[in-house]
Amino acid sequence: MTWTDEELVAKSIRGDADSFNELVLRWERPIYALAYRTIGREEDARDVCQETFLRAFRALPGFRGQAKFSSWLYRIALNLCRDWIRRERRTPVVQPPEDVDLLELAAASEPSESIEDLVARQDLSRVVERAMALLPEEQRTAIVLKEYHGLTFQEIADLVGCPLSTVKTRLYQGLTVLRRELAKNPKTKGTIL
Amino acid sequence: MTDMLCGYANRDETVVAFLYDELEPGERREFNAHLLTCTVCRDEVAGLRAVRTHLARWEPPALTSLQSPVPETSRAAWWQAPPAWAQVAAALLFLGVSAGIANLDVRYDQNGLNITTGWNKPATPKLVTAQPSKGGTTLVTDQSTAGAPWRADLAALERQLRNDLRASQASAPAAQTVRAVSSSDAETLRRVRELLDESEKRQQRELALRIAEVVRDVDTQRKADLRNIDHTLGLVRNDLGVEVMKQRQSLNLLYRASQRQ
Repeated sequence: MTWTDEELVAKSIRGDADSFNELVLRWERPIYALAYRTIGREEDARDVCQETFLRAFRALPGFRGQAKFSSWLYRIALNLCRDWIRRERRTPVVQPPEDVDLLELAAASEPSESIEDLVARQDLSRVVERAMALLPEEQRTAIVLKEYHGLTFQEIADLVGCPLSTVKTRLYQGLTVLRRELAKNPKTKGTIL
Repeated sequence: MTDMLCGYANRDETVVAFLYDELEPGERREFNAHLLTCTVCRDEVAGLRAVRTHLARWEPPALTSLQSPVPETSRAAWWQAPPAWAQVAAALLFLGVSAGIANLDVRYDQNGLNITTGWNKPATPKLVTAQPSKGGTTLVTDQSTAGAPWRADLAALERQLRNDLRASQASAPAAQTVRAVSSSDAETLRRVRELLDESEKRQQRELALRIAEVVRDVDTQRKADLRNIDHTLGLVRNDLGVEVMKQRQSLNLLYRASQRQ
């Protein structure tokens, strides 16, 4: 039987540890992806992810279901990311490209994908990552929440605490900067109008 | 890329809402009609769509699960770790119990159940010795008060009894003395029994606590062993994976070489 988030939260509050485990399993990847795309560092993103669940667990008795559990988790994670950026006093750092490890790449490839295609895919991913790192935090967060987590404009506005129109403006400005940056890059400029 | 030269109302917000399919049906129809006539907006929508296509290629590194790989039945979740003060208290308790348990001595003989612990225990547990006095009265003889706290109580009781005896012998007739001493004997026995009972209960509680600690230690060790086994299995799986990847590479190379020929 598949429980909803809210049912698992209720069971967790009553002391069922397995239910909270289930919530962690269900949400750890989205939260980690959000943290990674916001702060750009693998280890720190993992720490933020872990801290998010730790705080959620401690605050669980106070969770009254006024928001969706996922929104509540996103808010905790975003606050932690914001703290991290302030603490580090820097924009997200894209980890320097390392020598391509073919074995590692092969492990991530589909059986039908050649090594060359895989390297090209990884290159494009890095180009996007670098372009995203150039954006101000607010624009980056809006794009990450919209593009990778599928939140509506209203949900993003509620989550980050700003008007709906501001969310749209941040998205528009962020996408425009990305368009300009990708158009400049030799690896992507042919694909951007 | 084209510079923006279009005066469509709320243009930026409308472009974004159109891009993410969040326009109302009426607004959408209106903007679609506008796109038919406006090259600037059409190019921009196409450019931003291409950006979205690239964004979809950005994958974060794989996350190894935050959950411990130890099987569910023997796993304590990381988010349930006890607070630091509890861990310190548990460590202190564990050290104390370990130190005591190393010299735990359980004996059952004609004197009853006797449990002693600690590194500096007395050579012989001479706890209480009773000797008959000349007047037929049983008195507690001189004892060391070191060790169990009830020995101090016994010594104090003995001193009190001696004083009472001397006083009664000096001031009362012989018959009265015998009665008084007999009464004191009964009181002494009752007190001694109480002290012994209390001591026994205390030691039983201590033994139960230590047994519980031993069980917990064994359980902790079992969990650590399970983790080690799981880790070793993971290493074996990794080695196998690397071998498979190498094989796949070799096959790729062979395939390409055969295609060139």
